[in-house]
Amino acid sequence: MVHYNLKRITVVPTGKDFVDIVLSRTQRQTPTVIHKSYAINRIRQFYMRKVKYTQATFDEKLGTIIDEFPQLDDIHPFYGDLMNVLYDRDHYKLALGQLRTAKRLVEKICKDYVKLLKYGDSLYRCKQLKKAALGRMCTLMKRVGPSLAYLEQVRQHMARLPSIDPNTRTILICGYPNVGKSSFINKITRADVDVQPYAFTTKSLFVGHTDYKYLRWQVIDTPGILDHPLEDRNTIEMLSITALAHIRAAVLFFVDVSGSCGYSIAQQAALFNSIRPLFDNKPLLVVCSKIDLQSLESLPEEDRQLIMEMKKEASNTLTEEGVINVKNTACEKLLQHRVEGKMKSKKLEDVRNRIHVAMPRPRDTRERPPVIPAGVLEARAAAPPRAPRRLEKDLENENGGAGVYSANLRRRYILADESWKEDVVPEIADGHNIADFIDTDILKRLDELDREEHQRQEGESEEEDMDDDEFRKLSPEEQEALAAIRLARRNIREEHRLKKTTADSRPMVPRKHDKDKRFTVSRMERHLSNLGIDPSAAAARARSKSRGRKRDRSLGYDEEDGADAMDGFKDSAQKQQALALGKKAMKKRNKFARKGEADRTIVNLRPKHLFAGKRSTGKTDRR
Amino acid sequence: MRLEKCWFCSSTIYPGHGMMYVRNDAKIFRFCRSKCHKNFKMKRNPRKVKWTKIYRKLHGKELPQDTTFELERKRNRPERYDRNVVEDTVKAMKKISETRVEREAQFWKNRMRGKKTQQRREDLAELQQGIHLVKAPTALLEEPSLTLPKEKMKVKVSVEQESKAMES
Repeated sequence: MVHYNLKRITVVPTGKDFVDIVLSRTQRQTPTVIHKSYAINRIRQFYMRKVKYTQATFDEKLGTIIDEFPQLDDIHPFYGDLMNVLYDRDHYKLALGQLRTAKRLVEKICKDYVKLLKYGDSLYRCKQLKKAALGRMCTLMKRVGPSLAYLEQVRQHMARLPSIDPNTRTILICGYPNVGKSSFINKITRADVDVQPYAFTTKSLFVGHTDYKYLRWQVIDTPGILDHPLEDRNTIEMLSITALAHIRAAVLFFVDVSGSCGYSIAQQAALFNSIRPLFDNKPLLVVCSKIDLQSLESLPEEDRQLIMEMKKEASNTLTEEGVINVKNTACEKLLQHRVEGKMKSKKLEDVRNRIHVAMPRPRDTRERPPVIPAGVLEARAAAPPRAPRRLEKDLENENGGAGVYSANLRRRYILADESWKEDVVPEIADGHNIADFIDTDILKRLDELDREEHQRQEGESEEEDMDDDEFRKLSPEEQEALAAIRLARRNIREEHRLKKTTADSRPMVPRKHDKDKRFTVSRMERHLSNLGIDPSAAAARARSKSRGRKRDRSLGYDEEDGADAMDGFKDSAQKQQALALGKKAMKKRNKFARKGEADRTIVNLRPKHLFAGKRSTGKTDRR
Repeated sequence: MRLEKCWFCSSTIYPGHGMMYVRNDAKIFRFCRSKCHKNFKMKRNPRKVKWTKIYRKLHGKELPQDTTFELERKRNRPERYDRNVVEDTVKAMKKISETRVEREAQFWKNRMRGKKTQQRREDLAELQQGIHLVKAPTALLEEPSLTLPKEKMKVKVSVEQESKAMES
């Protein structure tokens, strides 16, 4: 059985739209370019493809419609009847049949014209054939137009039908119009049915869901039924009748005891009797509604008689008041009914066959009932009822609840002494873990250690280090000398290292151009005297040597110690004067901030290539 | 909470310090600081790195094994809490670390024994070798003691007229 989803049927287009859709699809999805100079086979193929494609599209689209609309014979008789009532079975079937025929005819057209196209001898001929084929298919569709429109209407209405499951637990509410059926359903479910004072407020079936014993129950509200023969009933009443007829549900027949619906109890009883055959095999409940307006006791005798008669038909006599009670009773009755039904069916046997309760085989016929000694029984009777144990949960609730209280796990510790339970156990001391030292015989170990220490210390005291002074100490002057030696060594090293690093970049200046005056005679004298030699002889020799070069020097020139080189001047005074003159000459220039020879000049302040001409890319609003 | 030992330098790792590296074979390496961690990443062998405890123990710079070390041992089976035992342990720990300190000091003393003599010998040798840097051989001949020479001549540091620098 195919599953239909009545809410998800594709939209049925009108005839005109249908044609448009199919033709535009053909145009888009098939090649469009053809020329009369192409090979004839190619032309034929081109047009045949178009015809076939159109047929295929028609086929596909009509096929989906036909498949998606439910076959009235395939679905549950309740829905079948419902749709018959709403849409007229014959009309529906005819419409679908028309679509089927259209599909077949389109196929036929396609076959015929493809046969003809095989023998088309020019582009013009083929094109005409194709035009004819497509044209005939489209006229067909036009003829089917009204069916399509009807089916679209049906689809729209079907999508809004309430989703009633005919097989599940259902409660059906019926009765005269305005007796309070919709109010009841509003009360027990979340359905929001219109409740108005005029009759036939509810015009179609409404479904609500409610719960009982952890199960979902459908509650179906029907439009009111009037008392006249079946043939005279209108569509709306037929809905209720259909529901009553096909759904196996608990039926709640509502009686309005106050008569505010406009019908007397007698009329309602008459209705009851006339639709009694519909209640076959269904658990029935007679509900007296609107008892706030008139209670049961204050009813006149005949009316009460009538109600009692109705009740006799119902399989139980109940006078409970209250909406919930009614619901509960109805549910219970239906459950029982369904269980009975299941018990009688074959399914039960299947289940029974699979269950097996193993009972031990008795070895003899002796009875062995459970034995409780009399003393125990007496004690049990005598003992006072035990107070409930104090649980951890009670403790938690007392001390602030779940988020506040945290259980003290220490209460359950097993220790040698109970008073140790709340101890704060140290873990670390002085950079060591206490757990690494813990030992039950730590004291014994400690004693051993003490003994060892004793021995060691005795051994130590025997060998005092007296012999560490076997070599003599250096005297303070010797130490001074040692320090000086070390310093000298360090200096040599440093100098060498510096020299090494700058070796490549240091110029080799001969000693006579000694700018830093490191090789003067006074220095030499000092150095020699530090070493302990009398320097006077060496100094004299050095000076005399320099004095010997009289020819290269002017008279009076003495290489005075500490004197500066003259650079060609007669004396220092002359040199000073020359420098002063030089500076003076510059003063004026500097004061007037004039450019000198040594100052940087820009030859061309406005080079042409920067200040004129267009740019190949970009703007020239900045120069 | 446990104080761990650094895998590289064997110092204690206090909570909140250092890093832990878990290798694919589930061996755990704990480091006290990034210095040790970086050395480890460089695949240096702590036995060859001078400043680690392992090196020092291996090369006889520190007390290598002792009963005090054996008293501190990681026990894998937890003992049931006993207040008296813990009290005794805490007291014992103090005593143990004191003895350990003493023993280490003694070890150091033993190691350094004879150092003074050697040092003096070396100093004398250096003095003898290098005396020529600070004392001229002639002076040494006159005065053979290994001391700085006496100032032979006071060099007249004449205050010459400060001629201004010739080169500005």
